[in-house]
Amino acid sequence: MSHRLFSALAFVLLALNPAQGQTPDEPLTLVSRDARQPLPTVSFGGLRMVAVSELALAFGLTVADDQQPGRLILTRDDQVVVLTVNEGLVSVSGRLVSLASPPVEYEGAWYVPIDFIGRTLPLVYNEAVDLRRRSGLVVLGDIRVPQVVGRYQRTESRQRLRLMISPATPHVIEEQPDQLLVQFEADALDLVLPDLATNDLIAGLRGIDSPPALAVDLRDTFGSFSATSEAAIGGATELVIDIRPRPTTVRAAPPPIPATPRPADPAVDPDLPALADLAPPRTIRAIAIDPGHGGDDVGTRGPNGTLEKEVTLDVARRLQTRIESELGLRVILTRTTDSTVALDERAAIANNNRADLFISLHTNASVRETAAGAEVFYLSLAEYSEEARRTEDGGQPLPTVGGGTRTLDIVPWEMAQLQHVYDSVRWAETVTDELSLRLPMSPRGLQRAPFRVLVGANMPAIVVEMGFISNPDQETQLTSATFQNAIVNGLLRGIIRYREEVARGIPLVGPPAPATAERPPSQRRLP
Amino acid sequence: MKPNHLIFGAGVMLASGGIWLLFVALPSWYPDEEVAIAAGERAPSMPSDGETVEATLFYVSDDGMRLVGIKQPLEQQPETAAQARVIIEAQLTDPPQPLLSPIPTGTELRAFYLTNRGEAFVDLSEEVTLNHSGGSLEELFTVYAVVNAVTANLSSINAVQILVNGQEVDTLAGHVDLQRPLELNMRWVADPEEGAISDVPSPEPTP
Repeated sequence: MSHRLFSALAFVLLALNPAQGQTPDEPLTLVSRDARQPLPTVSFGGLRMVAVSELALAFGLTVADDQQPGRLILTRDDQVVVLTVNEGLVSVSGRLVSLASPPVEYEGAWYVPIDFIGRTLPLVYNEAVDLRRRSGLVVLGDIRVPQVVGRYQRTESRQRLRLMISPATPHVIEEQPDQLLVQFEADALDLVLPDLATNDLIAGLRGIDSPPALAVDLRDTFGSFSATSEAAIGGATELVIDIRPRPTTVRAAPPPIPATPRPADPAVDPDLPALADLAPPRTIRAIAIDPGHGGDDVGTRGPNGTLEKEVTLDVARRLQTRIESELGLRVILTRTTDSTVALDERAAIANNNRADLFISLHTNASVRETAAGAEVFYLSLAEYSEEARRTEDGGQPLPTVGGGTRTLDIVPWEMAQLQHVYDSVRWAETVTDELSLRLPMSPRGLQRAPFRVLVGANMPAIVVEMGFISNPDQETQLTSATFQNAIVNGLLRGIIRYREEVARGIPLVGPPAPATAERPPSQRRLP
Repeated sequence: MKPNHLIFGAGVMLASGGIWLLFVALPSWYPDEEVAIAAGERAPSMPSDGETVEATLFYVSDDGMRLVGIKQPLEQQPETAAQARVIIEAQLTDPPQPLLSPIPTGTELRAFYLTNRGEAFVDLSEEVTLNHSGGSLEELFTVYAVVNAVTANLSSINAVQILVNGQEVDTLAGHVDLQRPLELNMRWVADPEEGAISDVPSPEPTP
């Protein structure tokens, strides 16, 4: 009786345990320059895994059991991979690689989680191996497989597809009777497509393998489309396709003439009411100068006792005088005395005073006394984690008065610099050019970094490190009027050049350009 | 079989089933997105088996303008968080001459946390700010020595956020934004082709 009870309970426990047994899962797709082939996967209790035997076939691995039980040896050329059952760390020729879950030995066969492909195989395979988890692609070799992530938005009069193409890849849109075909100059596409739900305008979205393209299948109601393409953060391009239905013909009395005719510009979204022009002015009228550190925060200190906070305030005052007297521009100093000002408050002062450019002045330091030279920094989002960068991805649907929603691009206040990254690069390049004519520059004069003081600035913004105060020679220079005037001359000339560019019509904030229009190379550069 | 034996056996089975349900089944049925694995003082690591692993640590170059990656043998640990602790503690110690450390003197690792999203939190003692010289380049080197030591050696860790005395901070010395996790960044590290990344010379054998 007790044996029967034990057996029954054991059976129930086994049946409930999701880790027991395997079920087939969606296959991955191996994509190389010459071929595409499926790579079967299985699911162990919800974990997507691939058989080692399948990987051995696809990647030319030799599989051998280790003398030690529970270990498996994979070899390719002189590379050795050691798998241990129930061990999440894999040894690859002595280097440890961690996996999402341990390998599993089941009915005599070994299985590894699919992240084994992206984390381990690149170390043993003689070509690049890239696992694209969301689309299920395994990209082999140096081929062009841009990721295309689609988002879908809908209003009463149009439907919008936003395709983030990373890295930026040339593409054309071809209109056919029943579809729009977005064709890419690529070897394959890593497509992540949105769910369109019930749709009376778009029948579906699907990828086409050869040539690589995204097909937007249209219904009879289709009327017209427009598209814009815009460089985006991280070297990507955002392609926005607006699809509109055919207008319904009204045969009754002619419609009344609207009080204010709508503009004919197709770039203007007819769904949105006219808004006040909130675009920044197309000229430079005010400069914010931020003397770094101050008060309790002395900054760095030279070997002879010179304080960074004093040098930055001296140069800021000189620059203020020259800008006001020679350029007639308004100048805002984030501090005028030896006072403590928080980093975010410095950006807020510039924002609240509607500054058009922001310069944060600093002196550098190194543990090596010989380090020397000026550097110019602009903000880079590339360093932040993917999750943090996602905050720039606006397009939040917000409820409106009277019902319904409206999609607005939202930039968190503390990330105001996001919308000025192009201009900050150009602003930094201009200043670097001018300073390098007058000052010793470091080997890397133009840099990008995640500097806090720049994050909240709602205008093109840079940090200028004028020199290394930790270097005795540079410490002397930084306190001299001659050197400080050279810095001021470089910055002043940089402002003049940048102002001239703006006056020539290059906008402070780049509006979406038509798909056919090419931006100048300097505007396509991204941090 | 006596009835009391039967009752005892059934009781053991039910207890085993309950334990399994509590510790195996339920955790695996719930999404683990928000579950954080705490390591460090709060989760003593499993004992290592005495094997070593090679890890790259980062120090200031001769000209003071870059970091250089130096490979060092470290004690191998059986799980990622414990391995990360060993790597960070090695990064915080003084390097062999003539290398210089980008980490302010006296800085200690207080705790290390790892989420299931692959984001690590490195909690350093206050010396990392109190003893910092304050230059932006040095601050970049301090931050990226820690971030890179973790992310370059442990592929399952995508990003690192530095805490000071258990608290989030804006910066260490007024420049580098620490309010968000940072990813591996090798732009501050000398190109290996320039020969800057090298093995640490083996210590002289003792007679």
